[in-house]
Amino acid sequence: MLTMGIDIGSAACKSLILKDGKHILSKEVFPLGTGTSGPNKVFEQALANACLEHKDLDHIMVTGYGRFTFDAADSQRSEITCHAAGMHFTMPKVRTLIDIGGQDIKILRLNERGKVESFVMNDKCAAGTGRFLEVMARVMNVRIEDLGALSMQSTEEVSISNTCTVFAESEVISKLSTGVKLPDLVAGILASVAKRVASLAFRNGVEAEVGMSGGVALNEGIINALSKELKTQILVPELCQYLGALGAAIYAGKEAL
Amino acid sequence: MNTLDMALQRLQEIAANPRKILDGYLAQGKKVVGCFPIYVPEELVHAAGMIPMGLWGGQVTPTIAAKYNPISTCSVMRSCLEFGITGKYRGISCAIMPMLCDTFRGMSAGWRAGVKDIQLAAFIHPQNRNDTYAQYFLTAEYRALAARVEKLTGEKVEDDKLSASIEVYNLHSKTMMNFTQVANDHLDVVNPIIRHAVMKSAVFMPKEEHTIAVQEIIGELNKLPKHDWKGKKVILSGITAEPNEFLRIFVENNIAVVGDDIAQESRQYRTLIPDGANPWERLSGQWMNRWGCSTVHEKQFSRGKMLVDMAKDSGASCVVICLMRFCDVEEYDSALIIKDVKEAGLYSLCLEIDQSTQNNEQSRTKLQSFAELE
Repeated sequence: MLTMGIDIGSAACKSLILKDGKHILSKEVFPLGTGTSGPNKVFEQALANACLEHKDLDHIMVTGYGRFTFDAADSQRSEITCHAAGMHFTMPKVRTLIDIGGQDIKILRLNERGKVESFVMNDKCAAGTGRFLEVMARVMNVRIEDLGALSMQSTEEVSISNTCTVFAESEVISKLSTGVKLPDLVAGILASVAKRVASLAFRNGVEAEVGMSGGVALNEGIINALSKELKTQILVPELCQYLGALGAAIYAGKEAL
Repeated sequence: MNTLDMALQRLQEIAANPRKILDGYLAQGKKVVGCFPIYVPEELVHAAGMIPMGLWGGQVTPTIAAKYNPISTCSVMRSCLEFGITGKYRGISCAIMPMLCDTFRGMSAGWRAGVKDIQLAAFIHPQNRNDTYAQYFLTAEYRALAARVEKLTGEKVEDDKLSASIEVYNLHSKTMMNFTQVANDHLDVVNPIIRHAVMKSAVFMPKEEHTIAVQEIIGELNKLPKHDWKGKKVILSGITAEPNEFLRIFVENNIAVVGDDIAQESRQYRTLIPDGANPWERLSGQWMNRWGCSTVHEKQFSRGKMLVDMAKDSGASCVVICLMRFCDVEEYDSALIIKDVKEAGLYSLCLEIDQSTQNNEQSRTKLQSFAELE
């Protein structure tokens, strides 16, 4: 049985093809989110990677912010449910899952079967999200993917006191104008994101092991800052960016039966 | 369309079209008094032969109101001020405002400065209700409020008529609480959107008329066989739980509302006006008996336990906090509610309500994820 999961996020799209609910045949990511050509691109490319056609798939499930907008989908589920399934597939011992997406943060408590026991999400605020990092990277004129490496060069973290993205942007500009070192400023920004995420995590309760999903999990600086805040090492699966799509593919298999 | 459908549709239309209803009253030569949320003694207005209409703002992105109310103000107050300034409330004889939270202080100044054609009658509820003089104060405050409304409208509040109005309001409150019970046996009919419409329409209609309408609905529901709801059941808490696009997410995810502590809805009706000889003291006595509300000071926080009890009594597995954006008093309570709900082994969800945006996607994700919990 071949199933595809597609995670249409606000900032990026991810797809993954699963064989018999166990073997990953193909995966794809594209840095464009819902309302763009991103969903079709990851759909077609994942098929091409595995030398498959649409008709070969038994079930397609879509998750993520744009889950209601993909016409080829057979069904949809929330990203919370799908990320949980994806994390359990890759790291079954994880009991606390942190997902930092383009525009929201989700903290999930999982049971031993990988089912969601409770979750919290941020409200309509970009603080601590991937969008926050994008804005800060733009202001500092660095690539978002370089933030982690830059933060590792820091010798004296610069504190960012504002949580609000708009206010924090002004604060970063102000700090830049005073001549602070870029790595120190980046470290401060990542620490502010970690504090925001940690405060949400504590609201839901943190139980080891703690894993992280989403594209932001690729940022080593965030992982370090968050591990420090939560006083536990954050585990990052190799497929961190694809966990939503993976979970959707797993559920697609269950629905196809 | 059967009798029940027609009755429900009528209340849905009224809830969705308050301006049309206001125009209807004005065309009939009736005077209308606007009543800000919450706990305005509408009985005074009713006794004076006028129509009290709730002022709950609406879905709008305020522009002119920003002159007086910053963006970090409760969105109900911002939209009310926007509607006041832009003439959406034109025709109302005056507006009564309770100073129940800090936002009302700024709001009263903004209203007086920005809304030229609708005079304000403001009053204060005493929060130290253990003090013997608290009720004396409120009784005097209600008399002063009535005098102010009389001056602004030219309509008198007589004691005997006030006593009669109190009976009208008590009957209405009992009817509304009865509806919430009966509705729980018919969740296939009374979905969250319809339930809300029955509740919200009350703030725009004369209470005796609304009582008859709801009694008819109750009667028709009681003729139907009880429905065994298979989806999830929740209790709603907050200031408002709207618009319909927000409530539709509940419907789409098979989530039923089986009780509420919404200020626009049941919270107003759960405390009856006590018996007594003096109607003014009866009215003030109702405030002394109110509890479990973010705008009512209590020595012991009771709202969490109240919500837990409501959930357990109605078979709900979750308390959904519909948190009005920038509502400080509700935000203070929410942390304690979540703690109490969690300790009781129930689930809690916090959904943000903001009249200035139509985007409910985060609420959708939260509700769908809750519905998907196994």
